[in-house]
Amino acid sequence: MKLSSIVTPILLAALAALVVPPSARAQGAARSGGWAALDELPDWGGLWEATFAQGVRNEQPSLTSEYEARLEAYRAAQQRGDIQDTPAANCVPNGMPGIMTQPYPIEILFSPDKVTILIEAYSQWRQIFTDGRRHPEDPDLTFNGHSIGHWEDDTLVVDSVGFTTDTALGGSFGIRHSEKMHIVERMRLVGPDTLEIVTTIDDPEALTKPWTTTRVYGRHRDWTLAEYICQQNNRNFTTEEGKAGIDLNFEVDK
Amino acid sequence: MSRTNLFRGSTLLVAATLLAGAAQAHHSFGVFDTTTEKEIEGDVVEFQWTNPHTWTWIDVKDADGAVTRWGLEGMSPNFLGRRGWSKNSLKPGDHVKVVVYPLKSGEPGGTFLRATLPDGTVKVMFGRGPQ
Repeated sequence: MKLSSIVTPILLAALAALVVPPSARAQGAARSGGWAALDELPDWGGLWEATFAQGVRNEQPSLTSEYEARLEAYRAAQQRGDIQDTPAANCVPNGMPGIMTQPYPIEILFSPDKVTILIEAYSQWRQIFTDGRRHPEDPDLTFNGHSIGHWEDDTLVVDSVGFTTDTALGGSFGIRHSEKMHIVERMRLVGPDTLEIVTTIDDPEALTKPWTTTRVYGRHRDWTLAEYICQQNNRNFTTEEGKAGIDLNFEVDK
Repeated sequence: MSRTNLFRGSTLLVAATLLAGAAQAHHSFGVFDTTTEKEIEGDVVEFQWTNPHTWTWIDVKDADGAVTRWGLEGMSPNFLGRRGWSKNSLKPGDHVKVVVYPLKSGEPGGTFLRATLPDGTVKVMFGRGPQ
């Protein structure tokens, strides 16, 4: 057998691979259907920024005695000056629910089996599975949790579990939660450019009753997300003991 | 106080509280004296258009000619870029006056509130404008 009789078929096969259109080659990993159905969903395009809606007064959470005591101890430490700032000063993201109400916009993307929320602050994202799956039996504990969602008419209902206790519910980090925290968010348009998110949190260890808050977001169609790398030039810090400080050394990072 | 004024007062208080909350997203204002507005005047060394804060470095000359370099923490490029600021809003060599919340420690630093630019225009970065 001549060398050319071996090489020629290989060359022909290589050539064929080059001319076959990508769509035909990708058949083995065809993307799921359902894209056309997305046209039926409400228009949530553009960026959304949390606003301070008139008439919306959110109540404070009702804490169990154990978590109330923790809050009081925290406040006492703040009064003494022992705790001066939160982990966010060291660029640690807020996690849920705080990450949803930062003074930076979010973008909400629909795809057939998932809603993705891109959060500009701290370059975070949340994925909300809408393919009918359930939460894992024993979810990993994360800052933003495990989220599943479904539509009730024009309202997206998001159910989230699996939260690390490294995050807080508020009170400048004094109001904490347990690993059993469970969050339900109901998201819907309440005006042409107004998105409302009603968030209900229950936690049998931390809260004596479910805590519901309402936040309103304004739409900015002409905005695009911008990068937010907190570690780029962060000169604020809090020590392990909670003392706050600021780095005024001009030459740092030079 | 009339009912209307009481309402206005509480609305303003709520607004102020919410604004403080928003501004505190990254860190507390504990190290700054937010009850004092101090004006400094000098030459821009560098305007760092970075997250989580812009940093403006200004050389301030005292009566004897001694120069002190001030570091001013400001709002982020993400916030400012959507509100009429850019990385070129302040340039090295610009002679500016800046109103700041000074550091409680007395070190030469503060929160950037607003600046009077070389052409006389006042640019607000954070808080209320000139009164």
